[in-house]
Parts: sequence; structure tokens; C-alpha cells
Amino acid sequence: MGELAASASAEDELMSIGLGSCIGVAVVDRARGVAALAHVMLPDAAADAAAPPGKYADRAVPALVREVEALGARRVRLEAVLVGGAQMFDVGVGSALDIGARNATAVRAALAQARIPVRAEEVGGRRGRTMRLHVGPMTVTVKEAGGREVELWNGSPSTRRSPVEVMH
Amino acid sequence: MPPQEGAPNVSTDYSDLQLDALRELANIGSGTAATALASLLGREVELAVPRALALPLADAVDAVGPADATVSSVVLPIVGDIEALVLLLFPTADAETLCGLLGVEPGTEVGDSAIGEIGNILGTSYINALASMAAMSLEPKPPHVVTDMLGAIVASLLTGTVGETGTALVLDSELEVADAACSLSFLLLPTTGGVAELLGRLGVGND
Repeated sequence: MGELAASASAEDELMSIGLGSCIGVAVVDRARGVAALAHVMLPDAAADAAAPPGKYADRAVPALVREVEALGARRVRLEAVLVGGAQMFDVGVGSALDIGARNATAVRAALAQARIPVRAEEVGGRRGRTMRLHVGPMTVTVKEAGGREVELWNGSPSTRRSPVEVMH
Repeated sequence: MPPQEGAPNVSTDYSDLQLDALRELANIGSGTAATALASLLGREVELAVPRALALPLADAVDAVGPADATVSSVVLPIVGDIEALVLLLFPTADAETLCGLLGVEPGTEVGDSAIGEIGNILGTSYINALASMAAMSLEPKPPHVVTDMLGAIVASLLTGTVGETGTALVLDSELEVADAACSLSFLLLPTTGGVAELLGRLGVGND
């Protein structure tokens, strides 16, 4: 949680477990077989300078780009997949009410600023999700509590365009 | 004492004295809640010594339990002199046991409503004990029942109560129903402003 991981090893699997209002942000260069995943908890870093880089949307996206570039990814080839941002409770204490939606807005804005297109997303709703990014086949799968693991995106270099692709 | 990673009750934001005071508060609150549950079920209820966790947001979520465990939860928003959330967590099997003890079908609307009512009664007892001890006016709002992944539930709630402040305060009590495989976690998640107010009322505030 609040963490960030990157890999260029085909056998690796990056995952964000139990995404509620949090958002799993995957950034990949599929031609190079490089991927990174951040578990974003909140929209902006504000005064929390000591936070891990994956925790806030505004800092996570530049950190993801740095990580994949360090593993040989090309900036122009980067693509993103988003999962999470649910609103699990209708409780009006603190700012809990719309954090999922605010996270989604902040992540999309940060990706747009970095000119990284979002290729697929499963965002919003009321259920928690676990997101897995399989580096070798370059696929993203999503699983809800008690549910089946479902493929959200297939970015394998041989597929030009996957059926669930979302253009922005 | 230098902060140690993973050790409970360690924080740079709250002193040991403050965490002790909060733990004592949790002890009395959850003791009252345990008594309420015992009289409701007609069984003894055991109570473990509560934990007062003050940790970075992500670590606090991990400290509550495994992120991918499916749990039944009841959330009771608290308003008044402080804002907080009461969160009850049951492993799914234990929620089913509890429904059995209450004579309702688990996983149904009636089952969820019974679990919500348990949360309401326990949360209200806890909050009333807290209110009288710290001379506060506190009022619970209607409960929400959600069955989902533990990490998703706790992170979604904590990001709301503590937001960008970095440190989450969790008062965690474990209750166990005697002679039945039924245990539950009872958590109080105050907002950051709520913790400061609570400490002030207990005479261990920062100013």
C-alpha cells in the first residue's frame, strides 16, 4: 500500500491487493516488456513530504515513469491501466465520501500531463478489487472479493488492440 | 525510544503517555461493548487487551490484518464533539456463526441487518462509555454493512479519517464469544482532529 514496484522480468507478477478507494496504476512499455505498478491512496501529496512515492497520485505517475525508464522503457511507448477508486461506504465522516473518485481524477490528470494514454480501466463502483499485472504476457487481471480473476487488458506485443481497450 | 519498524504503539506523533491513555479508553469502551454483546447472546464474551496503533496510513492498514482476507464489516459513523468511525470486523465464517447464534440466515438481507444491529449496539455502548469518560457529547449514525476485502475496507475508511496527515490512529480491541467460534475486531478510527480533542479531554493534550 502506497508502494511502487517495477520489473522487466517475464516471470514477474506485480500486484495491488485490496484496492478500495485506492487506485492501482500500471504503466507499461509492452514492446520492451517493462512494467511498473503503484498503489495510490490519495490524490495529492500536500504536506506529506516523507511519504512513499506510490502513495499520492501526483507523485506516483512521475515515479512510475522514472522506474520504467530506468529499466529501458521508451517514454513515447508508455501506456497505462487503472483499477480501483471504488466508493465502498456512504459515510460522511472526514473526507471519506469521494476519495475514490478524487483519486481517479487525480491519476487521470497526472497521466494526461505525462502524455500516457489509458488503455483500459475498471474504476468506481462499490467493490474492493485485487489487481495483478503479469509482466511476461503483459496482461492485467482483476478479482473482486469471492469472485473470479478476470482479464481486463491484454497488452501482449502480438495483439495490436485488445477488445476491452478504452481510448481517451 | 527510537521508532522501530513494525513495532506496535510506536510513533513520533503521539507520546507513550498519550497512547497509554487512549488504550485505557479503548479498554473501558470495549469492556462495555463486550458486556452488551454478552447480555445480547446470553454467553460470556472475552476481551483481549486493546492495541493503540499510531502508524503511517499504509502500515496501519497492514497492521489490522491480511489485505486480501474477505471480512464482514459494520461501520458506524460518530459525530458530535469529535468525529470518528467505529468499525467492526468479522471473519466471514464468524459472521455466519454470529447469525446462527441470533437465529438468522447469514448472507441474507435479514442476516446483514442483524449484523448491522450488533454493530449498532456494540458501537453505541462503546461510544457512550467514551463520551461519559471524556465528558463529550457523541452520537452514532446508522450502520453500514459491507462484506469485502479487509485491506479495501480499512484503507478506504482511513484515507477519509486521517487523509493527508500521514499518521493513522487505530484503537483495536478483540472480542471473542465463549464456546463458539466467533471473534470480532472492534476498531475506533478517530479523525486527526478528533484524536487531538480526545487527548485534550483526557488531560494529555499537546498544549
